[in-house]
Amino acid sequence: METDSFLSMRGIGKTFGDVRALREVDFGLRRGEIHALLGVNGAGKSTLIKILSGVYSKDAGSIRIAGEEFALGTPRAAIDAGIAVVQQHPELVGDLSGAENIFLGQESERPGFLARVDHAEIRRKAQALLSRFPIEIDLGKPVGEMSAVDREIVAILHALRLENARILILDEPTSTLTEREKQSLFGMMETLKAQGLAIIYITHHLDEVFEIADRFTVFRGGRNVATHRVDEARGGAISIPNLMLDTVAGHVFPPHSDRTDGQVVFEARGLGRTDEFRGIDLTARKGEILGIFGLVGSGLDELSKTLFGVLQPDTGELRLHGQPVMFRSPAQALKAGVFLVPGDRRTEGLSMQEDVVFNTTVANLGRASAGGFLRFGRNRRDAMALAERVDLQPRKLNRPLRGFSGGNQQKVVVAKGLYRQSDVYIFVEPTVGVDIGARAKIYGLMRELSETAAVIVMSSDCDEVFGVADRCVALYKGAPMGSPSRDLTRDHLLHAGIMGDPAR
Amino acid sequence: MTRSALLVRILAFVGVVCVIALLFWSQNPAFLSTGNIRALLRHMSVNGLAALGLTFVIVVRHYDLSFPGVASFGAMTMGWLIAVGQPLAVAIGGGLFVGLLFGLANGAMVARFKLPDIVTTIATGGLAIGFSYFYSNGTSISKNFFMSGLLDINDGRFLGMDRPFAILLGAALLGGLILHGSRFGRAFYATGENPVSAYYSGVPVRAMIAAAFAICGLCACLSIVLLVASSGAANVSAGTQLLMPAFAAVYLGSALFGRTSIPATLAGTMMMSLMLNGFTLLAIPYFYSDAIVSTVLILAIAGFDPRVSGAIRAALSRKETLA
Repeated sequence: METDSFLSMRGIGKTFGDVRALREVDFGLRRGEIHALLGVNGAGKSTLIKILSGVYSKDAGSIRIAGEEFALGTPRAAIDAGIAVVQQHPELVGDLSGAENIFLGQESERPGFLARVDHAEIRRKAQALLSRFPIEIDLGKPVGEMSAVDREIVAILHALRLENARILILDEPTSTLTEREKQSLFGMMETLKAQGLAIIYITHHLDEVFEIADRFTVFRGGRNVATHRVDEARGGAISIPNLMLDTVAGHVFPPHSDRTDGQVVFEARGLGRTDEFRGIDLTARKGEILGIFGLVGSGLDELSKTLFGVLQPDTGELRLHGQPVMFRSPAQALKAGVFLVPGDRRTEGLSMQEDVVFNTTVANLGRASAGGFLRFGRNRRDAMALAERVDLQPRKLNRPLRGFSGGNQQKVVVAKGLYRQSDVYIFVEPTVGVDIGARAKIYGLMRELSETAAVIVMSSDCDEVFGVADRCVALYKGAPMGSPSRDLTRDHLLHAGIMGDPAR
Repeated sequence: MTRSALLVRILAFVGVVCVIALLFWSQNPAFLSTGNIRALLRHMSVNGLAALGLTFVIVVRHYDLSFPGVASFGAMTMGWLIAVGQPLAVAIGGGLFVGLLFGLANGAMVARFKLPDIVTTIATGGLAIGFSYFYSNGTSISKNFFMSGLLDINDGRFLGMDRPFAILLGAALLGGLILHGSRFGRAFYATGENPVSAYYSGVPVRAMIAAAFAICGLCACLSIVLLVASSGAANVSAGTQLLMPAFAAVYLGSALFGRTSIPATLAGTMMMSLMLNGFTLLAIPYFYSDAIVSTVLILAIAGFDPRVSGAIRAALSRKETLA
């Protein structure tokens, strides 16, 4: 690895329970460079950032800044080491002015409860800080009334308020910005870079990497798989999307289906929600799996929630068995026969303190009871039959869900869906945090389900969508790239979802 | 929880009850006399009913601080109805209706309009206390009580039990059936454990929260009926003594049995009543026993919270390694 790095991380390792979030990671950052961190969710980039910012402490490895060894480990230590972090959604106080937000926590030189807050002094210092950049914003305005980019700039100034800041970490700062706002943020980053700051820049958008970054590092599966200069990757000499994605062994996926004549169950026509997604046309049939690939921020999550009645569409309509339907709540969607396996099973899918029987039956309490009273014996037998069908390990029906591995928790969510006996199954990010064995089982269950119901899989994992679905489409910044197609190659799908080229 | 772990907890509970009973008995043999046990069970009935209702609110992970005030209002409503010559059934019905109404109002505000439960219920409780002054400008009501048959609720017997205790057992049976035997119970627990996943599972989350508050208000007023029947007069501060024992019972029960449930609440109530009755018998002034109940409540909350119990365990083991 390079020796001229200002920040040099070597052999960094971090383990959570039995998950190795980072292994043997080397990472170097120079002064006056903008270094993009890339990787799919769970690749390890946010763990690395959290180690740098002192939120987590590393299990192994060393961190050197300007040749000096730092342990970090607490946010205070990271600040003292000169590391400034701007979170993805910066926590600013909406009622206070920009200047007050910048110096939040150090309003006064003197310590003590009664020390007077010197507003004029704060405003002067904030202006002085701002004047280092070719940007004009009104720091006297309450942050709650500012535009997204002005808030971002306030957050950056807040991070840079300390004299000693020498490394700046920006976590997806552009996710809420418009194209024009982005330019003024990039202008600020260029200035900081010229002033010798070392900047780590996390993003999901490859076009931004080519626009602003000097070098990039790709993370995959907790490792640093490649660090390159951006100009090396220009012109397609290096395929960043391919670096980002694992080559998944083909046998995980069940065979594709050739059936195209299945009964149409669920349709979306011109479905849209302002600023989230638009123009979605989908037809889900029995006998095949429909796949939608989209990165974080592509509108995929919002689309799945709209199909399930958590959100309501602004335009377009949904049809179930040919009839127009309008779901005002998940309860209505479930009743009509639509089941969602949510992307975040811990918060949306399961009661972690309750056992397998409880979680399996909770989405269909009508079936689980007679005359209002629970049928304990039958529910237990049903739960056992489903546990066998989804191959739950271990098959302990009394065990609270938190005692199962991620893959087996996800199997319980699937069992819950099976117990509901729906006509449409929507799987969102079905295998996040799921081990390879459980993945194969879950894909097999999707295929099995598609015999009797319409199955839609939505994921930010391109290979998953391509591998399991019979027809695929990519969603890019809220818009579908073409219509779902059977003869799309994996690379087409990948480029459509990451770069936004419509497939052919 | 596995069966054997539950058995251990039940045995531990019985053991603790026996130890407490023996301690009091050794100080005053009258503690285990039939008369005192009956008094204990009657006392337990009043607190137990209020705690039963509160159990539902705690299961959906909310707080109700209004039920003492609501109970006072229920007591005065019932007292006034008796005083103006209404039949007993109408009077009791009126008192219970007040509880249901306030409970539903709490539920609507917390579940539908997402108001903070603690502040909201403090306010509605204050409102209820204010209303309870309307009937008599705050003086206690006991007119017609003797003739109305109200006192029989306290003095009568049913299947060999004192009536108040029979009412508690009946209410607990019904509550247990709802919370542990019916689909609604599942919905209550699902709402409390993880409201988002409950919503995604089609559980009517808001309705469950509203129902929990309604049950709490209703039970508080049922409990106050027993209290008024035993004291022979309705007054505007009747409900205030319900607050702490009810919370203590629910949390103590949860600490004892690992989760909030109807049997756990009954066990918690029994423990509280055992101690309060014993202290009374030993002629310990009531302000001391209040302090002891409060201490028990804090210990129960600490025991119920896995973080606190985990920290205590960690501290203990550290001490052991040092020693």
